[in-house]
Amino acid sequence: MTDPLHVRDEREARDSAATNTVDRPTSSEFVLEVRDFSVDYGVGSSMVRAVSDVSLNLRRSSVLGVAGESGSGKSTLVYAMTRLLRAPGVISAGNVMLNVTDDHGNALAPVDLVRANEKELRAVRWSHVSIVLQSALSALNPVLRIGKEFDEVLKTHRPEMNKTQRRERAETLLTMVGLDATRLDRYPHELSGGQRQRIMIALALALDPELVIMDEPTTALDVVTQREIINQLYELRTRFGFAMIFITHDLSLLVELADEIVVMYAGQIVERASALELYEAPRHPYTLGLLNSFPPLHGARRELTGIPGSPPDLADLPAGCNFASRCPYVMERCHQEEPRLTALEEGGRSVSCWLQVSGASASVPVELARTPRVKRAHPTSEEAVS
Amino acid sequence: MRMIARRLGLYALTAWVAITVNFILPRLMPGNPIQTLIGKLQGQVTPNEINAIKLSFGDVKGGFISDYVTYIGQLFHGNLGVSITLGAPVSSILRETVPWTVGLIGISTIISFCVGTFAGAMLGWMRGSRLDTLIPTATFFQAIPYFFLGTVMLLIFGSHLGWFPVLGAYSSNVTPGWNWAFVASVVRYGELPVISIVLSSIAGWMLGMRNMMITMIGEDFVLMAVAKGLPRRKVIVHAARNAVLPSIANLSLAIGLVVSGALLVELVFNYPGVGDLLLQAVLNEDYPLIQGIFLVITLTVLCANLIADVVYLALDPRTRTEAAV
Repeated sequence: MTDPLHVRDEREARDSAATNTVDRPTSSEFVLEVRDFSVDYGVGSSMVRAVSDVSLNLRRSSVLGVAGESGSGKSTLVYAMTRLLRAPGVISAGNVMLNVTDDHGNALAPVDLVRANEKELRAVRWSHVSIVLQSALSALNPVLRIGKEFDEVLKTHRPEMNKTQRRERAETLLTMVGLDATRLDRYPHELSGGQRQRIMIALALALDPELVIMDEPTTALDVVTQREIINQLYELRTRFGFAMIFITHDLSLLVELADEIVVMYAGQIVERASALELYEAPRHPYTLGLLNSFPPLHGARRELTGIPGSPPDLADLPAGCNFASRCPYVMERCHQEEPRLTALEEGGRSVSCWLQVSGASASVPVELARTPRVKRAHPTSEEAVS
Repeated sequence: MRMIARRLGLYALTAWVAITVNFILPRLMPGNPIQTLIGKLQGQVTPNEINAIKLSFGDVKGGFISDYVTYIGQLFHGNLGVSITLGAPVSSILRETVPWTVGLIGISTIISFCVGTFAGAMLGWMRGSRLDTLIPTATFFQAIPYFFLGTVMLLIFGSHLGWFPVLGAYSSNVTPGWNWAFVASVVRYGELPVISIVLSSIAGWMLGMRNMMITMIGEDFVLMAVAKGLPRRKVIVHAARNAVLPSIANLSLAIGLVVSGALLVELVFNYPGVGDLLLQAVLNEDYPLIQGIFLVITLTVLCANLIADVVYLALDPRTRTEAAV
């Protein structure tokens, strides 16, 4: 039976009989570990590599921001990681370990999401990894009452709960995101965009997951509602300590919420740094361009410049650096050799740019050589959950 | 509730318009039934007899408006006049024929809808699999003219192989009534017509549902259903629940055609229904009967639409917001 919603990884068939778990009894400090992860669209000659060699770790209870333009592969990366990518998307390399814990925080056997079969995936989904999509209107089934969405999730994953308990849990969740419990009896089209997105967030937290994926949850909302939702998310994160992957093209938003940010371009991570460092002292010209494309939520106004040009055709990537044709600081070397994501000497961050390689022939432009202030906008994840 | 009341009002209005048109139409046609009947008697009538005929058909010179009032009044008493050719009250003729047609075509339509929609949902979910070959097969049967398909099936499975009884609605050696032998015979005689109708109409339901299903699978809420870790069956239900809505609208149209669409089936299988009756009535210019059949058709369409409306309201909450207007 061909299931259109599940990525058919060629290894799936081969490995489904083998064990999916790796013997590692202790709870890892990371909730998610992604290694050399690549995703293709299509196979054979028409194949396009949408995500290329991505590795990242997500610390428990921390917020990872994934930023990039449309088509940068940020959504593909996250959907493929959680095995929600639709055909013709195919995971072509790498592995994704999800280090799950039970309700009491005891480590369970880690799950290799890339090799997990449907049954194993179902067990992980929502109870350990949940997701909030960009458009809550299309993410909620239009013919079901809001309460039914909650009821269904609880019924599937918490079979021991009875109807009254499920209803109570749903009411608690709704109150938690600042909505009246009577909203449970409404249909999605009867609610406002902000209310629907709050419902999605409440739904995502229904089973107390370790990881919540936010795919541009505020993009479709006006700035005031956006502000409210971000504050709400921040508060909920502090309260429940779930880790978050927050996908957006709005870097200034990420700076407020994220602990760490990865910037993606043409399917690759081009820069990874703590949120504040990235904001105050970007090291990749693309990051700088992104930062200059959005007004900051706080602070002085500055001129918005944007990035000239458009992302490269993934089916026909140039030799050398993918960003070279749009880069204001392009050098001879950028057209010949492809830079790798390399840890910087200052520590704690890495970037994929020839400008930042020690001993580079050219001097680093002043915009890409700022020194970050030490202060952080928010406490780090470790402080937040202690 | 207000919504339903408003709809009911609308339907009452439509019914009134239909009844009025039904009253006016025959009066706009050239000739009149009494002339036709007199013509059939080929001049061997006396003026007295002509008067008697006129009286028996209710042709009293009363003018358009009073005729209309009388017509409506008679309708409410279930009096549809007397058939010219059959000489019996139209209402009792319809009482005998309508159940056959409604039973045969109605059951076939519902079977076709249910099976077709279910198959369509599965085909949509598993698009690209080998099951897709079902589509051209079903389309083939829909593309063949029904008259041909019905006749060929009758010849092969009825006459040649003798798997099914042919001709009529029940065996001649059972007594009509609510007894087991009769019901069993009706079912047995209905099998081949039902199969042929389902075969010739299932492709539409299947294709419609499949295409809607494919659209729905692309929707975010289906992705959400997967992300929620719901069992596959429930994910399919999420998609199908939405995909079925346009099919429900089409079903109301199809049910409306139940009475009128039966002509070919009834001709092929010699089934005693409304289709055959209408043909005879038109050929014989039997106006009271034609009017009566039209009335039944109109009312079936209206009822079918009303039912579909209510079902649609129940299935799609978004249509309910209209009530707030």
